[in-house]
Amino acid sequence: MSVPLVYISYIVSALFAFGIFVGLPKQGRFPRRGAFIVVMAVASAMLIYLLQLLFGAESRNITFCILAVLGLAAAIRVVTHPLPVYSALYFVFVVLATAAMLIQVGAEFLGAALVIVYAGAILVTYVFVIMLSQQSPEMKGRISAMLDYDRSAREPVWATLACFMLMAVLAGMIVEHPWKTVAQPLSAVATRNTVELGRLLMTDFAVSVELAAVLLMVALVGAVAIARKRLPQAADFSDHKAPGEAGKTVVPY
Amino acid sequence: MPNPTALMIVGALLFAIGVVGFLTRRNMIVMFLSTEVMFQGVLMNLVGMGLLHGNIQGQGLGIFVLVIAAVEAGLGLAIVVMLYRRRGTLDAENWRSLRG
Amino acid sequence: MELKTLAILIPLLPLAGSALVGAIGLRGLKDRSHWLVLAGVTAALFCAVSLFYQVNTELNRGGSETAAAIGAHAQIDPSQQVGYGKLAESFTIYEWIPAGAADWLNVTFRVDPLTIVMLLTVLSVSTMVVMYSVGYMRDHHGHAELGYERFFAFLGLFVFSMCMLVLAGNFLLLYLGWELVGLCSYLLIGFYYQKPSAAAAAKKAFLVNRIGDFGFGLGILLIYLTFNTLDYQEVFNMVANSKMAGDLALSTERITTIALLLFCGAMGKSAQLPLHVWLPDAMEGPTPVSALIHAATMVTAGVYMVARCSVIFAASPIAMWIVGAIGAATALFAATIALTQFDMKRILAYSTLSQLGYMFLGLGVGAFDSAMFHLYTHAFFKACLFLGAGSVMHAMAGEIDIRRFSGLRKAMPITYFTFLISGLALAGVPLLSAFWSKDEIIHAALASSTPWLGWIGLVTAFLTAFYTFRMIFMAFHNEERLPRGVEHAHESGVWMSAPLVLLAIGAVFAGYVGVTTGHGGFLGMFEPHGAFHHFLAPNFSDAKGHEMTVAAAQGVAHGAGEHGSESHWLMWLSSGLAFYGIFNAWYFYTRRPGIPLAIALASGSVYKLFYHKYYVDELYDLVFVRPLRRLGDMCYACDRFVINGILWIIAAIPRAIGFLLRGWQQGAMQGYALGMVVGLVVIMWWVLANA
Repeated sequence: MSVPLVYISYIVSALFAFGIFVGLPKQGRFPRRGAFIVVMAVASAMLIYLLQLLFGAESRNITFCILAVLGLAAAIRVVTHPLPVYSALYFVFVVLATAAMLIQVGAEFLGAALVIVYAGAILVTYVFVIMLSQQSPEMKGRISAMLDYDRSAREPVWATLACFMLMAVLAGMIVEHPWKTVAQPLSAVATRNTVELGRLLMTDFAVSVELAAVLLMVALVGAVAIARKRLPQAADFSDHKAPGEAGKTVVPY
Repeated sequence: MPNPTALMIVGALLFAIGVVGFLTRRNMIVMFLSTEVMFQGVLMNLVGMGLLHGNIQGQGLGIFVLVIAAVEAGLGLAIVVMLYRRRGTLDAENWRSLRG
Repeated sequence: MELKTLAILIPLLPLAGSALVGAIGLRGLKDRSHWLVLAGVTAALFCAVSLFYQVNTELNRGGSETAAAIGAHAQIDPSQQVGYGKLAESFTIYEWIPAGAADWLNVTFRVDPLTIVMLLTVLSVSTMVVMYSVGYMRDHHGHAELGYERFFAFLGLFVFSMCMLVLAGNFLLLYLGWELVGLCSYLLIGFYYQKPSAAAAAKKAFLVNRIGDFGFGLGILLIYLTFNTLDYQEVFNMVANSKMAGDLALSTERITTIALLLFCGAMGKSAQLPLHVWLPDAMEGPTPVSALIHAATMVTAGVYMVARCSVIFAASPIAMWIVGAIGAATALFAATIALTQFDMKRILAYSTLSQLGYMFLGLGVGAFDSAMFHLYTHAFFKACLFLGAGSVMHAMAGEIDIRRFSGLRKAMPITYFTFLISGLALAGVPLLSAFWSKDEIIHAALASSTPWLGWIGLVTAFLTAFYTFRMIFMAFHNEERLPRGVEHAHESGVWMSAPLVLLAIGAVFAGYVGVTTGHGGFLGMFEPHGAFHHFLAPNFSDAKGHEMTVAAAQGVAHGAGEHGSESHWLMWLSSGLAFYGIFNAWYFYTRRPGIPLAIALASGSVYKLFYHKYYVDELYDLVFVRPLRRLGDMCYACDRFVINGILWIIAAIPRAIGFLLRGWQQGAMQGYALGMVVGLVVIMWWVLANA
């Protein structure tokens, strides 16, 4: 049983890697939309097959499979879409799918936290930064008007090869490894999940929680210090700009 | 209740997809988004391993992954903003001062 | 104060002055830098005088009948031995390395009559020269020259070094002082380091001294190998008993080797014949330096050293013969060169060589005390002559060629009279200091087993009188002429004149400590071998006791002493020669100025030989400098093409590897990330395969 599982996981890895390769932006276009959809469909089918094999005959969790396919497809679009704004939007799908999967396995608190923190906070930051720094012209299907560095991927062949190897090794390891059978039934862990998690954080991980708090504080200060805009100095006005003009242009460091 | 191994497989695939994004995309913001995708994979793997071991510690570590992700996003994006102000571009290829 | 305290203070006072001037001279003292050094040296002089009284008391306490031994010190009074024996012990000042029982390794001082004589000579001349420098190292408006504080710091350092040299109680410390004075000499010759000739002269002096010092160092090593100690008294005792370490018999060959190696150092430091070339060039330094270091004190260190090691030298007849012969040869050689030179300072430099030759001549025939006597008198009149030359140079705006000026007698009366008195002393005119000392040396030589050395000395005495007065007549007599650019000659200030006068007084009267009166000797009054010799007698008692030199010593003693009238013909002869030389110079250079030119033209090649200093520099250039330079070129070529080539090849290997690998380093972050991912995959795969 295990040998076919490994090969199936390799095939899944190869298909996903190929799908990414097909989907990566090339010369600013998305010319292989059809091929991408076909490859992704085959890869999703193979993934569902693999997951069904893993679940075994007694529990076919079709919801999980659909969530997994959705999440992976959205993740692939995150890394392949030429426009960062769309990448960010697709990333919301990834986060939602992940959270749903986590809730399915019984980690409700983590799933909820994921949605709140990622979709609610981090994604907003990304969108702000994209708005601040991305002056990509309006798309309207004319991709040639996009920014140069968004139009083409960097060394797609080598990157997807490495990605395939990574996927294959990871998936093969997960499938093949003789995981220890769990003494405690999963459901016992899952029942009072949030309470247990809170107790864990406040007892065993108490120091780590404090450290995490400090880390967040330091990161806040650091981010402010790094991104601090230098205010225009008197010297910057020496060339007598027209009123209002000095404030428009950001003086580079 | 799904099998934890399935969760881990999906997490591994997510992680690898994030790696590809980090390697291929030249836009620094998208590179950071890719790392967030990698975080998702890691998070799922942690939860899956915790389930396999029958305890909750995997989820506890998952909370810290969230914290680290937040910190990384804050600092990383601050650096991106600074670099963008320096060169007026988000292209990672522009920063090659280590070139031999 | 106690003897030991004084002995420590004497070198430390000038050192303290020098160090202070060196530390704060540039910032704080500037034009007043001289005060500290002058104070230090003067205080050291007073300490030395006090030390002299203590030692004298110590000597006299040894035996009340010492007065009776005057003139007959060849027979050693046992009571003198007792008094001296205490002084001969060296005492430890500071321990370099406390471990072990090697006392000779420490800083040990030895205060005995020889040391006292040297200290008094060095410090009195130093005091005069430091005073003189205050006036000399300024321009006519009284502004200090550039490097004024540096000059005084070096001067103080020199006085310290010289005191260390003469106070040393073992050979190691002697060597230290020896090298220190060499260093000071180098620094002061090259004082005007902006001048290429001064820098070259400093290097030349240093390198030529290295040759001599190498031999000196070997000699000290051989002393250690032979006697297993470096302490003066232990070594001298063993030599006097012809013993080596471990009660082995001392062979003549070995003691000769030691003596000759030591003499090698003396030749370098005192500029004797093969190694004399640095001294005339050393006149590039400031004139006070020439007076102090290259006339009065440092160059006499060789004489002092041979006198100090008199026991060793006296034990080897061959070494004594060589010392005497080289001394005589240098005396004559330098005197002939001095006849033809026109640079006042160079004439005086060759004169110094010649007088040092006299001293070695005296040492070589065993008249150690006479040589020391001549050293002592020479210091005064030669320092005075040099300072007088410096005074002239100062007035003539740096011009020192005696063809360019004349008749300065009226414009510079003090300089003229002091110069004249010192010149008379140098010429050996009776009743002045050098007359007594020089005569003693010649007499000792004539009475020794090598009387021809004495005849050379007599010929040199005539030449000395001639060239000295040739210089005086050309510079100070005839009608007044000044070099271009100098409107009027003027007498130097009091800072410069006072030392001149004091030294001139010394040049007249310094000799009288070495004569006795009332014995019906020369002119019915004067008799050689006075208090000076008596004071020094304990130092040379061992050497005089030796078989070879006893005859010479007795010859001097008897000839000059009991059987007086026999020796007085020499005194009359030498004073006659001196007056004849002076007369000749007067006649040639004031009455008939054409004669010298005619002689020079007539003698042609001989004159040229003298004028070009026997072509010694050219010979050295041909024999040593050029082959060495060729060798250096070859070494350079070897280094450049062979060794550098090999190194280049070795360096090229990593460079080539780096060139090949550099292509990978694109500097792009994602490239490195790709490498990381691939490495991660490989490692995980490897782990899985082995799981």
